[in-house]
Amino acid sequence: MSKTEIRVGGLGGQGVILCGMIIGKAAAIHDDKHATLIQAFGPEARGSACSAQVIVSEEEIGYPYVRRPDILVLMSQDAYHQFAPELRPGGLLLYEEELVHLDGRLPAGAKAMGIPATRFAEELGRRLVLNIVMAGFFTGVTGLITHEAIEKAVKDSVPKGTEDLNMRALRRGLEYGREAAAKANEGGV
Amino acid sequence: MKLEGFPRTIHLRDGLTLSVRPTAQGDEAALLHFYRELPQEDRLFLKDDVTTESWAERFIRRIGRGEATSLIAELDGKVLAEATLYRATHGWSTHVGEVRVAVARAYRRKGLATALAGLLVKLATDQGADKIIVEVVENQVAALRTFEKLGFHKEAVLRDHVKDRSGIRRDLLILANDVSHIWAAMEALVADTPLEEL
Repeated sequence: MSKTEIRVGGLGGQGVILCGMIIGKAAAIHDDKHATLIQAFGPEARGSACSAQVIVSEEEIGYPYVRRPDILVLMSQDAYHQFAPELRPGGLLLYEEELVHLDGRLPAGAKAMGIPATRFAEELGRRLVLNIVMAGFFTGVTGLITHEAIEKAVKDSVPKGTEDLNMRALRRGLEYGREAAAKANEGGV
Repeated sequence: MKLEGFPRTIHLRDGLTLSVRPTAQGDEAALLHFYRELPQEDRLFLKDDVTTESWAERFIRRIGRGEATSLIAELDGKVLAEATLYRATHGWSTHVGEVRVAVARAYRRKGLATALAGLLVKLATDQGADKIIVEVVENQVAALRTFEKLGFHKEAVLRDHVKDRSGIRRDLLILANDVSHIWAAMEALVADTPLEEL
């Protein structure tokens, strides 16, 4: 697929924009692809609906808005209610499984894969690396960007002194995503 | 939790190179040997009787439960120093880490305690701690300097809290290092403010 439309959604304060930015950065700067990022906020950033639209493409991108996402990365129930119906039929939903409960609104043929990202982040020491766990999960499941590229993008993007915890969060999500993808390929989603 | 980047070497001021690695199951005898060789007056400042086998077993179990992270500095298989970071796994101080460093007398004033304490501060930050504390007795001037160099400051004084071997009461200082600013920067980054403000 030469162009992939991605929407990352959640609540302000979950690092939704940073998650989208890291995916885009990994693709555009470290994987030599093209990427765009559009951010959207609710009336107040923290605790309100918030989403990032990311397009990753092998070719130049003429229109940066996501029309029909191929992949959704969702971290809140509100984001699921809002964005799940937009998913392309046969698309992929990656979701925080302790914060998002699925119902019948996913389009036909869509695949859904969950991760307890908040719990993983808390086990690692900081709930606020939840978005980095999700970025790792995205990479592990989709393979859209390389492991090396996402690692570099995370290192480039996080504050000094927090790199180690963020890298552990990324790897936790990445490994979980790879295992989930392998299970799905065996026919188990 | 598996610690990354270990074993590693540290170079002391006198040119000696030591190996540092995480303490693990099977190190009980080496730890006991190290602590039994420490002078009794040094062991007085430790909260536990570190010369007993039951302590060593409990200590290794705490490491296994994630309540403590311990590093051993050794030369030719002999333990010369041990440093521990304690973290509460529940309750209201899970954001606080407490460190303790013990160095064999012959290897003091060579930068070993500073190196180990520095590694523990880094590990505490990596584990997401906001604050790190250490207890130092008022007359442990070298220890005081070591921790002050690493960003610790006096936060509390417990008057006459410890009694040394000759019965003299001394103040116990609680030094603290607030590393929450590192995480404040990360919190600002995940606040989902417009990108141009990042």
